[in-house]
Amino acid sequence: MTRSIIEPPPEPGAPTGPLWKRLGWFVGLAVGSAVVTATVAYLLKALLH
Amino acid sequence: MHFDALLLSRLQFGFTIAFHIIFPSFTIGLASYLAVLEGLWLATRNELFRNLYLFWIKIFAISFGMGVVTGVVLSYEIGTNWSVYAAVASPVIGPLLAFEVLTAFFLESSFLGVMLFGWKKVGPGLHFAATVLVALGTLTSAFWIISANSWMQHPTGYVRLPDGALRAADWMQVIFSPTFPYRLAHMTLAAYLTTALVVGAASAWRLLTDPNEDESCIGLKMAIGMFAIAAPLQVIAGDLSGKQVAQLQPAKLAAIEAFWETRTEQPFHVIAIPDSAHETNRFEIAIPKLGSWITAGHADAEVKGLKAFAPQDRPPVGIVFWAFRVMVGLGVAMFGLGAVGGFLVWRGHIARARWYLRAVVAMGPAGFVAVIAGWIVAEVGRQPYVIYGLLRTANAVSPVGAGEVSVSLLGFMVVYAIIFGVGALYILRLIALGPTPAPQLDTEPPPRGRPPGYALAAAPGEPEDGPGTRSGEAQP
Repeated sequence: MTRSIIEPPPEPGAPTGPLWKRLGWFVGLAVGSAVVTATVAYLLKALLH
Repeated sequence: MHFDALLLSRLQFGFTIAFHIIFPSFTIGLASYLAVLEGLWLATRNELFRNLYLFWIKIFAISFGMGVVTGVVLSYEIGTNWSVYAAVASPVIGPLLAFEVLTAFFLESSFLGVMLFGWKKVGPGLHFAATVLVALGTLTSAFWIISANSWMQHPTGYVRLPDGALRAADWMQVIFSPTFPYRLAHMTLAAYLTTALVVGAASAWRLLTDPNEDESCIGLKMAIGMFAIAAPLQVIAGDLSGKQVAQLQPAKLAAIEAFWETRTEQPFHVIAIPDSAHETNRFEIAIPKLGSWITAGHADAEVKGLKAFAPQDRPPVGIVFWAFRVMVGLGVAMFGLGAVGGFLVWRGHIARARWYLRAVVAMGPAGFVAVIAGWIVAEVGRQPYVIYGLLRTANAVSPVGAGEVSVSLLGFMVVYAIIFGVGALYILRLIALGPTPAPQLDTEPPPRGRPPGYALAAAPGEPEDGPGTRSGEAQP
C-alpha cells in the first residue's frame, strides 16, 4: 500500500497549532519551494554557459 | 515541399508549443477549480468537496510539472532557432516574459509547495490562501503571455532604432496593445472550458459505472455549470476578437473566411476547399451575405478579400480556414453540452442519462483540440510575419542548417512522445480510479485471543461471543 505525499486537511475537531507556528510553515514552505525553483533555473542557465 | 531550416524551425516551434499549450490551458482552469472546491469545503465542511480537491490536486501537480518542462524548451528555442527575432524584439518581448516568470511562475511554484505539503501544518485558512495565490499565479501567467503575443499580432508603443532593433517607447501601449483585452478574455474562457470538459468527462466516466458516486455527480454538475456560463461568453469574446481581426489583420480574416474578392455582401463559407494557386475556392457551401454580417456587423459592408494583398503577404489559407471551423464547431458543441446538461440537471436525471454521460466523455479532449486549433488560426493567420508588419518569419530564423534542426526536431518528437505518453497515461489512470477515497484500513492488530486468519478477527466483542473457539476451529 503506497502513502500519498500530498498532505490531507486536518481531521474535524483536531487542535490547530499556534498562529506563529502555522505562519512559519507557510513562509518556510513558500520560500523553500521558490528556492528549489530558482536553483533549477540557475542550473539550467549554467548548463547553457 | 523543400524542408529547409526555416520550415523545420517553424515545424519544431509549432510542435513544441502545441504540446506546451495543452498543459497551461488545463492548469489555468484547474487551479481556479481547486480554489472554488476548497472555498466550498471551508464554507460548508462538506467532505465531498474535500475529496474532489484531494483528487484533482494530484492531477494538477502532474500537469503543472509537465507544463513547466515543456515551457522551458520554448524560451531556449527562441535563442537557438529564432536568434534574429530575439535580437530585434527582445528589448520589448524579453521584459514581458521576465515579468511572467517573476510575478506568475514564482507565485505558482512557491505556493504549490504549501498546497501539496502543508494543509495540516499551516491550517485550513492559510492553505486556502495558498490555493487562491496559485490560481492567481496561473491567471497572471496568462496575462503576460497573451500580452507578449498580442503585441506581436499588432505592435504598438515601440520605436525602431537605426540598426533595425526595436525598443519600447511606451510600456503601457506595449503591455495593453489593442487586441490584448479580447484575446486574454478568449484564452481565459478557453482554459476554463477545457478544464470543465476534462472534469466533466472524468465525472461522467465514473457515473457510467456507478451512478451513485456523489463526488462525480457534484463534479459533473459543476462542469455543466461552467459550460452553460463560459460557452456563451466565449461566443461573445470570440466575435469581438474576430471583429478586431477584421480591422487590424484583414489578410488573416480573409484567410479565415476564404474570401478571395473584395466585395460587399460577402457570403459565409460553411465548407470550402480554398485553392491558393488559382485564387479561388474549388468547392464551397455558403450562406449569402452572412460573411459581411458576421465580420463587419451588416450585410452591406465591404470586406477585403485575399486578392487585395500581394501573394507574398498572404497567410496560408486552407489550414487557417479549417482550423477556425474546428474551433468554432467544437465551441458550438460545448454550447450544446451546457444547454442540454442544464436541462437534465433541472429535471434531476443527470446521473442516469447514459447517452449524455457518453457525450460528455467523448467531449473530454475537445477543449485541447479547440485551443490548439485557435492558436493555429492566430499564429498561422499572422504569417508571413512573426511581428505583424515589422519582421517576416523568413527573416527571423537563425543561421542554422537544416540538418541541425532536423536532429533537434526528431529529438523533441521522441522525448515528448515518452514524456507526454507516460504523463497522460498516469493522469488517465488517476482519473479512472475516481475521487472516492479508499476505505481506511484498520491497522490495529486483532484483539488478543483471536487467531490470524479468523474471519471475524477484527470484529468487536469477546471471542467467546463468536462462532469460533480460541483454537480457531469452527463449531458445527
